[in-house]
Amino acid sequence: MTIRIAAVGDIHLGTGSQGTLRPMLASLQDCADVLLLAGDLTRHGTIDEALVVADELTDVPVPVVAVLGNHDYHGDRPQEIAALLAQRGVHVLEGSSVVLEVGGRRLGVAGVKGFGGGFAGRALEAFGEPELKVFAHKSAASAHGLRSALHQVATAGCDVRIALTHYSPVPDTLAGEPLEIYPFLGSYLLAQAIDEIGADLAVHGHAHSGSEQGMTNGGVRVRNVAQPLIRRSFVLFHLNGEQQDSNGRGEHAPESQPEQQEAVYQASV
Amino acid sequence: MIDGTTDTEYRIERLRHRLAHGDSAELGLHIEARANAVAVYGTVPDSECRDEILRAIEEELAGLPTRIDVMVASAHAEPRVEEL
Repeated sequence: MTIRIAAVGDIHLGTGSQGTLRPMLASLQDCADVLLLAGDLTRHGTIDEALVVADELTDVPVPVVAVLGNHDYHGDRPQEIAALLAQRGVHVLEGSSVVLEVGGRRLGVAGVKGFGGGFAGRALEAFGEPELKVFAHKSAASAHGLRSALHQVATAGCDVRIALTHYSPVPDTLAGEPLEIYPFLGSYLLAQAIDEIGADLAVHGHAHSGSEQGMTNGGVRVRNVAQPLIRRSFVLFHLNGEQQDSNGRGEHAPESQPEQQEAVYQASV
Repeated sequence: MIDGTTDTEYRIERLRHRLAHGDSAELGLHIEARANAVAVYGTVPDSECRDEILRAIEEELAGLPTRIDVMVASAHAEPRVEEL
């Protein structure tokens, strides 16, 4: 059975954005099994803006899984924002995962905001001033969080595995952005984590002027779903539930159950 | 000595800083000197953001030729499906 994944990032809701997101999501029930939000849900990371996001996402007819983005951290209250969204039923991931039952298939989403640091051959080293080392260590820690979450999804025996981040794991989906800011848009360490553990799809935001399509070295498809880039409510991915390792080799998923189940639980927080 | 070129670049950075810390929190626009003008282009979430940006451009880049192409993200287009 095909699993239908809707995804968008960088919706950047402000305090005056009430009622703008809901109509966009009205068609979700007919076309998607889950909605992924790839960060930058707010503009300044304020609680007032988060309340708008929470209101817009209340009673969405499919499970909603999100990571926060750098804008959501700008107000220095990311934990409160995550908690507020969680109260409305949104699964906010940060080095954690969620497994969803979709028509007898198990969809696992591993999520982390991610961080900058740059890409292979041009990546930041943890060397020199304390501030620089803090930056580099944060990049590594974020990738480790993604690795851990993907491992949770793998051990849960999921048929489809998604890596959800705000920052990009590859430079491919940054094409269109100025080269000089690539180190602030993502890190190869995220792709390394994805390739080590495996995923069927990696989805991210952050790069408004990037490109939609990319791939990790291990062959995992990467998609940039930043709304300024995709210029629509969301994009839809149809995955057939064939599990793949990081080399793109597939295993067929178990037969789907006739009745559709929507049991949701946290593999870990 | 600060000549016209360096002054333009500093003004571009001041505009960039203003947009980042303004109501729109806009960091994604391209703002760059091209020939004898300043090009500003990209996509923003809504028309209010665009209006704020246009006001900021008018104030921060007053007197400079500008080429402006700021689009509002359309959330009404039909979702595109990719079969993976």
